[in-house]
Amino acid sequence: MDQVVTAGIVEDHPVVIEGITSWISADPEHRIQVVLVAHDLMALEPVTGPVADVLILDLELNGQLVTDQLPRLVAAGNRVVAFSAHSGPGLVRDVLDGGAYAYVAKDEGRDYLVEAVLAAAADRPCVTRSQAKAFLGDDGPERPSLSTQERQALLLWFQGMSKASVGRRMSITENTVRQYIDRARMKYAALGRPALSKDALLARAIEDGIITPREVATYTSAARRPA
Amino acid sequence: MRAAPAPAAPPPGTPPPGHPSAAAPIQAGRGPADQVPAGPSSPGPSPAAHPSAVLSARYAQSFDIAVIIVVAGWHIAGAGSELLPYRALYRPFPAQFALWLVIALAITAGAVRLIRGLSHPAWAYALAAVALAVTIAGAAGCPPDQLLKTDWAWGTTGWVGVLVLLRRPLRELVGFLLLDALATFAVLAHDGLHRADVAGFITILAETTAIQLVVAVAARQLGATAREAAEVTQNEAATRERAVIAERLRAARQARWLALQETAGPLLRELAAGSANPADPEVRRACAVEAARLRRLMAESDDAPGPLVHELHACADVAERRGVAVDIETVGALPSVPADVRRVITDTAIAILTTAVSQVRVTLTALPEGIAVSLVADSPAPPPRPATALGVVVEHDRDYRNLWVEARWTR
Repeated sequence: MDQVVTAGIVEDHPVVIEGITSWISADPEHRIQVVLVAHDLMALEPVTGPVADVLILDLELNGQLVTDQLPRLVAAGNRVVAFSAHSGPGLVRDVLDGGAYAYVAKDEGRDYLVEAVLAAAADRPCVTRSQAKAFLGDDGPERPSLSTQERQALLLWFQGMSKASVGRRMSITENTVRQYIDRARMKYAALGRPALSKDALLARAIEDGIITPREVATYTSAARRPA
Repeated sequence: MRAAPAPAAPPPGTPPPGHPSAAAPIQAGRGPADQVPAGPSSPGPSPAAHPSAVLSARYAQSFDIAVIIVVAGWHIAGAGSELLPYRALYRPFPAQFALWLVIALAITAGAVRLIRGLSHPAWAYALAAVALAVTIAGAAGCPPDQLLKTDWAWGTTGWVGVLVLLRRPLRELVGFLLLDALATFAVLAHDGLHRADVAGFITILAETTAIQLVVAVAARQLGATAREAAEVTQNEAATRERAVIAERLRAARQARWLALQETAGPLLRELAAGSANPADPEVRRACAVEAARLRRLMAESDDAPGPLVHELHACADVAERRGVAVDIETVGALPSVPADVRRVITDTAIAILTTAVSQVRVTLTALPEGIAVSLVADSPAPPPRPATALGVVVEHDRDYRNLWVEARWTR
């Protein structure tokens, strides 16, 4: 990517802001520039348009979960990467359903936050291990039906293997591993409440050849799949 | 009293189910600790339905049957032998015979209710009322001048009272027997009393009613004693069962402890004697393995929900004390895993946790067919050999940095 991605950070703990900016500045190619730091969502009002290419949002600000604000931020055109100390699978699924591009748990920040921000800026998914966990643990009636391969790739990825190792174990290329994992993510993007960000993710996935337009139309939840 | 069905309880001394014939579990290093018993996975037979208690209950029931035999025997032999010789005297005989049949039915109903343990008082009162009505009708059908000689009903209805009121307080039977006698006396008085009649009435009252009361009191006494005996036997059985279970628990724990002694003991002796050098990484690793096993031993006797996660946390504790970051994640509703299977899984985990350099990720994933427990660690140790024990399949993989091990258990 030639152009620098701009990022906004909404986070109430100064030490976490320090951490995020240090991870961003540690990127050898300096692909991200922080253009806004806010301690709460009031600082973004009125929300009329995107504040930056990507918004890094702590889900808990001053002791309160702000997940209900997420659809409004997404509708205004923000690409949100959720960053949270919580990693409950239900919360992760809710946040993705609300239109977040990615969910990065705080202990995954060092490894994945920069990658997630860059992916979001390009309308691409970044499936962290906490997202994989949320997909694997989903037993809700509206869950999408994942293929055996998608499930196995998610499982090994969740367990902590590198994608290269997952590929070796499954006798597929690392790219195919990514594709399986991203396809699982797209099935979640295709279901649930509509959001601009999900449309953008799906459109990009079709362009990238991860899925076909036909597939998006035929994704159904596991509950509706004929036995 | 109802007798509980006899259970198919194993005799005391039978080893608990799940006793390991443990097919060569995965070794965490030094070994024989894997051959210890899997611990109590069965609480043993329920003390509530011990065979001896059932026997006592049957013993108590036999008194009920004795009462039924006395009552039915009196009705057939006693009342019948009065009814038939005087059949020419009754007004008319068929009516008396019908009344006799009514009492026979009442005795049958009362006997069935007693054996089945049905104790609703309404039925008892209804049958007693029928008996009283038969007393009056029977006496009224006798020739007036020979009532006391030919009346069969009074005696047998008294026995019906003994039977149907056996589960009721004694005062109800006394009241019934008084009413029964008064009813007969009323019919006697209606027909015209003579001095001889009064004397005869009192004689019969003294003989029949007294015997009925004695039987009723004795049956109650014997029944109460039998029930008490049953309770005592049951309590004794429960105490014995508890002792057996406690002994099994103790023995299982002792066996695990002894197995640890075989590996931890020599290590401690070598350390004390100075022949094992704490600076030697191999010695340190052996110490960590034994420490993890000790912690698991303690965690196994905790009654925690999700014992597998609990035991893995105990194993991880030792790694964390070495400064290794251990992350334990679970996905889905984990199935309950038998104790011996948990041991195979935790042994695999200990092998990784004790050799990890700086971090370990432990995940437990519920699968439709069982559970997958995996560890990813920056461990230089040789991976455990792929193995299958007790339905646990252990696999491993290694990339440039990490060792991945998965133990997958299928129910």
